[in-house]
Amino acid sequence: MDTFNALMHGFTVALEPTKLLFALVGVFLGTAVGVLPGIGPALTVALLLPVTFKLDPAGSLIMFAGIYYGGMYGGSTTAILINAPGESASLATALEGSKMAKAGRGGPALATSAIGSFVAGTIATLGLAFLAPWLVEIAVKFGPWDYFGLMILAFVTVSATFGDSPLRGLTSLAAGVTLGLIGIDRLTGQARLTFGVPELLDGVEVTTLAVGLFAVGEALYVASKRFRDPEEIVPIKGSLWMTKEDWKRSWAPWLRGTAFGFPIGALPAGGAEVPTFLSYSTERKLCKYPGEFGNGAIEGVAGPEAANNASAAGTLVPLLTLGLPTSATAAIMLAGFQQYGLNPGPLLFAERPDLVWGLIASLFIANTMLVIINLPLIGLWVRLLAIPQPWLYAGILVFAAMGTLAVKASVVELSMLFVFGFLGFLMRRYDYPVAPMVVGLILGPMAEAQLRRALQISLGDPMILLENPGSAILLGLAFIGLVAPFVMSGLNRFKASED
Amino acid sequence: MLRSILKRSTVTAVALAGLSTAAFAQLELKIMAPAAPGGGWDGTARSMQQAMMASGIAKSVQVTNVNGAGGTIGLAQFVNGSKGDGSQLMVNGFVMVGAILLNKSPVNLSQVTPIARITAEAEVIVVPTDSPIKNAKDLADRVKADPAKVTWAGGSAGGVDHIMAALFAGAVGADATKINYIPFSGGGEALAAMLGGRVTAGISGYGEFEGQIKAGKLRVIGVSSGTRLPNAPDAPTLKEGGVNLEVLNWRSVVAPAGITPEQRKVLSDAVEKMTKSKEWAEILKARGWDDAYLGGAAFETFLKDEDARVSKVLKDVGLVK
Amino acid sequence: MNQDVTTGRADRPALVVALLLLVAAAVVARDAYSQTITSNYGIGPNAMPYVVSVVLGVLGLAHLFVAFRGGLPKPEAVDRNAILWLTGGLIGLIACIGLGGGFIIATAIVFSFTARSFGRQALAIDFGIGIVLGLAIFLMFSKLLQLTLPSGPLEHLL
Repeated sequence: MDTFNALMHGFTVALEPTKLLFALVGVFLGTAVGVLPGIGPALTVALLLPVTFKLDPAGSLIMFAGIYYGGMYGGSTTAILINAPGESASLATALEGSKMAKAGRGGPALATSAIGSFVAGTIATLGLAFLAPWLVEIAVKFGPWDYFGLMILAFVTVSATFGDSPLRGLTSLAAGVTLGLIGIDRLTGQARLTFGVPELLDGVEVTTLAVGLFAVGEALYVASKRFRDPEEIVPIKGSLWMTKEDWKRSWAPWLRGTAFGFPIGALPAGGAEVPTFLSYSTERKLCKYPGEFGNGAIEGVAGPEAANNASAAGTLVPLLTLGLPTSATAAIMLAGFQQYGLNPGPLLFAERPDLVWGLIASLFIANTMLVIINLPLIGLWVRLLAIPQPWLYAGILVFAAMGTLAVKASVVELSMLFVFGFLGFLMRRYDYPVAPMVVGLILGPMAEAQLRRALQISLGDPMILLENPGSAILLGLAFIGLVAPFVMSGLNRFKASED
Repeated sequence: MLRSILKRSTVTAVALAGLSTAAFAQLELKIMAPAAPGGGWDGTARSMQQAMMASGIAKSVQVTNVNGAGGTIGLAQFVNGSKGDGSQLMVNGFVMVGAILLNKSPVNLSQVTPIARITAEAEVIVVPTDSPIKNAKDLADRVKADPAKVTWAGGSAGGVDHIMAALFAGAVGADATKINYIPFSGGGEALAAMLGGRVTAGISGYGEFEGQIKAGKLRVIGVSSGTRLPNAPDAPTLKEGGVNLEVLNWRSVVAPAGITPEQRKVLSDAVEKMTKSKEWAEILKARGWDDAYLGGAAFETFLKDEDARVSKVLKDVGLVK
Repeated sequence: MNQDVTTGRADRPALVVALLLLVAAAVVARDAYSQTITSNYGIGPNAMPYVVSVVLGVLGLAHLFVAFRGGLPKPEAVDRNAILWLTGGLIGLIACIGLGGGFIIATAIVFSFTARSFGRQALAIDFGIGIVLGLAIFLMFSKLLQLTLPSGPLEHLL
């Protein structure tokens, strides 16, 4: 049976009325939990596992898939509306999205993220159906040195978020990397910079830092200049929907975001953050209206959101073909398979094609349902911004506290939220960009762990980074990215002096 | 829809509870999972909740999560906050024994009341199918020849996989301080490193590698149980391969210190009854866990022995000084 | 941005940042130095901290330089009252959770204090709204998701 016929057969399974109902429940739940910071799809699926114990396997797996995709849609909503990225993968979306929302362009921002997620999800699911066996062969060949190259490339592109002072941008980034050192060292199990506080052993939670710096910091900042320079939130200005211009500016970022998200998501240690950062900085470089970036450019929402969703589908590549869970949600989905005595992997395609292809087909269906559900919701979401400012910010802080407590109910964690909130406030006052700090916290530990694994395998020989073509190319690209701006400005100066 | 599912499951639980004539039907328990929701210990706690409620052993069971630092944060809270409370239990396991030493935890397992070991999982050592290493002896020879050249992939530093690698080196007469063990976060990453041929051998719970072993992508060098596993009769034990080594990744439940002997008996009986229930058997089967019930004084001794063994290994590999 | 090079006097905020960065560099280096466990192969757990420490040190010196050359952007004046109310709300939240007051009261404190900080003059009403909001969230978590948020006297009544 070739792939196409298998997929068509999958659709006949997934289109049964009961399966459609499961998919619907899944996407609703997923969207709902995605909106809540701190509660992601992984947690929801974990909590539902015992409940679905007695249900039919295909049905509950389809529901889990719906939750997974739905969570990805929902995550962008809070990032855009109230600048509280509920998960690290929505960080890049918050940067431009929240600016758009404040300027009355929340409608188009949510729309481009919903439609972009649909486009990316659909293309990436097609990729999952047709390219998975081939892609996964390459993906497992990716060694620690290659990941290190990818992380360094991502590091270099962060400079796109630096704003107008490289010194302040670098300081923010370095502060994030320093925070990343806190906690148990992954390779030796030793505590670093924990000062005897046991709660610090697990390190700084990305969501605590992001919500503190972004949401709490901003609340403090807006409150501090309420009289002098009152902030005006315009719920809707111009069209609620995407204009023709918005469409024109969105389609290419959607496709590029998918191109980043799907393959990197398919890598066992690729994750969803790196592709969203890469997409954000690419769009910033390519944008025809560079002045808009940092003030609400639609490209900066369209690209990262597409990358985020495509990486979610990418994660399913190693899960279904090899049984490799490469994200928290995938690990829980694997547990879901196992509770029915099913082991994902090459055998599952042969033994239970109806189930695997039914699941893949249901991903297309879930995606379509999500875009149909989410587009009408946009009008409702945007109206939330019309809530009187005191209540809006009060609600945002309650949300932030809830998200933190849901992840870790401890005073230490809340205190960190508070300290990061104040830090975010001070950084805004003195014009330090906050995004690089979160990026540093995410990428720093990843890069360090991969470098040390690489050197452990090579018994300390650093040449391993240049001997492997993958890492050599990625590091070369990073080097070019680092040096090119200087060379360009040097050339321009040279030209200018010739004139 | 969700609510109706939830409601239905509670209704069944209540109905079942009504039918059974258990003496514990008044028991109201709180089980702490010292891990995030969704992890292994959380799964154990929630499964216990499910089995105890459905079989009528307890009237209500509430699961709380206190995550962090290999369970030692939850342990600290349990030791300090629940002293003498006969309605509380905590799930823990092998990993916590190591975490206490590694994280220099101010509290340890001597400050809780052992109740019972409930499940265990065998570890397995695997190599990629195209590896020249065919059996335990080949691997032992390589480790003896040059421990640096044998790279091990497994879970977190100081965890059960790491301890297993060190014990293997020790058992074959190689220098355990020289092992080249590379911790990966999560089973998926370690598995990818194996399949990509980046490392010599991999260690994990058998269930984690089962799919790949059955698909013929990984070769079993040995399982760490005393006898062959019922679900994998073809996989040899390490002992058969000439390596005298037995490691089980067990999970257990403990109660707070300072409870009365009567309270201890109620809790022990409830846990024992649960492990014998039909509901628990179903859960074990669905989750792929092995029943490893060990209660009373035997478990207390077992806990002490494991503690001694783990501390020795962690000192040997230089993770604890 | 203020590019006034000839100010003569040092810019206080930039000096503070410089000092903080240098202190952080020292703390990171000291922590790395005190690591007793190393890796058998490759680089140990102290390699990256040393790199970070050097980078922090360089950034600290750069801020010192900036302090005498124009300094950081000059911020606008602050509405102290608003900041105090908001800070009070957040500290109230932490204290309430820490002292076992439970999630619902904690929510009400944050909600009402934040609304006050943004200029509403109805603390009692907002406290009530906060209670209702907290109750709704608590119930949703415990009933639907089976997750327990921190409990206090109010939560135990449920």
